[in-house]
Amino acid sequence: MKFTPRHIEDNINVSKTHPLAELGWLVGGLLLLVVVGYILLGVATEIAVARIPVGAEVWIGEHFTGKMDAQQSEALQGRLDKLLDVLPADSPLHEYDFSVQLVENEEINALALPGGLIVVFTGLVEQAESENELAMVLAHELGHFAHRDHLRRLGRGLSLALGAFLLLGEDSATADLVNRLFLVTERHYSREQESAADRFGLELLVAGYGHAGGATDFFARVGKDAGSRAPYLLASHPYPGDRVKELQGLIAAHGYRVDAVIPLGQDLLQDLPVSKESPGMEPASVAGQ
Amino acid sequence: MNIILNNLDLFLFLALLVLGYTCGSIAEKRHYKSIRRREQALVKLAVVTAEGRFKEGAVKQSFLVNGSTVVSNDYFKRLLAILRNIFGGRVKAYESLIDRARREAILRMKEEARAKGAHMIVNLRLETATIGRSANKKNRVGSIEALAYGTAVVMARP
Repeated sequence: MKFTPRHIEDNINVSKTHPLAELGWLVGGLLLLVVVGYILLGVATEIAVARIPVGAEVWIGEHFTGKMDAQQSEALQGRLDKLLDVLPADSPLHEYDFSVQLVENEEINALALPGGLIVVFTGLVEQAESENELAMVLAHELGHFAHRDHLRRLGRGLSLALGAFLLLGEDSATADLVNRLFLVTERHYSREQESAADRFGLELLVAGYGHAGGATDFFARVGKDAGSRAPYLLASHPYPGDRVKELQGLIAAHGYRVDAVIPLGQDLLQDLPVSKESPGMEPASVAGQ
Repeated sequence: MNIILNNLDLFLFLALLVLGYTCGSIAEKRHYKSIRRREQALVKLAVVTAEGRFKEGAVKQSFLVNGSTVVSNDYFKRLLAILRNIFGGRVKAYESLIDRARREAILRMKEEARAKGAHMIVNLRLETATIGRSANKKNRVGSIEALAYGTAVVMARP
């Protein structure tokens, strides 16, 4: 065997691809995966929202209650129970075990949280002037439950949390972690969702009180104040003016009566941190009474 | 300035990436240049993996020669490899690393053999090892070692 010394220039062991081109392909592929995952999660959420069992919802809801500094409100609970009593027999809402909490927050808002928890901010109760008006707000939130908007609002985190719940079970630390990481109230209700909840609320209000009095009061007042409180009011309850018009149209179309409203009960005002009747009073004079 | 301080991790990562790419590319280019030059110079010194069979009295002397080298990974290559781990396929980023390490190890072995007056090397063997594999897991960058060893032969009549 003869040995012929020869230097081979071509190197078969090293790929010719430029490293930056390789990086481009890999990062591009990763981005594509993320985009596809995002779209799939969105689809999965839409499916999950319609089918999520109330049990899983309660479990998800427990993680929200933990984050809220709230107290059970007897007065509000009584009013909610009254509305629940007049629900149609076939309503899906009967599966829920609803509870109402009053949270000290000056925001004029109420929330529907997973698991049948309605949170009412003290700011809203301070603004409310009649029983009917407050009932309309509660009924409106029940409307969100009926349409499962409260779940849709959790967005893509919901399907992740539900997946973790179904795969890993209720007591799993990992499922808990997934819940904490991905479950954020990220979206506001859309205009259509609010309108649908308004329609539901109006029907329930009429069923409960026999007339539609007070249905538009709250939104009308909120709309008037919108100038000064625009940033958060518009964020949580958009288009107050349009909603008043829409509700009035519905009342006219159904031929609902609009009777006098019942003033807000005293038991509710006691729950508030600062009494509505004495906004400017000195603490000393309150003590002296 | 605040943006940099708030996202220090991200900026550090990007800085290491750019550093890894520029320094890594320059080092690699220079290394290949040197490898090619030295390979050309040593091309006449035969290296075979075959076991040597020589006639009685043909071999004056034989001894072990070895050459080893450690080449470090860089952040850029590491990122490419991590991304590759997701999709599968050839980890092209590491190919040049291993190629350089092997060729450098053989060159060093040949240089040793020539310094000792050998005419050829038989029974060449190559080994590779990872250095700092555990360090790799702790978010650091590991290195690769290549070791070439063989039997250098000095012929009685070249």
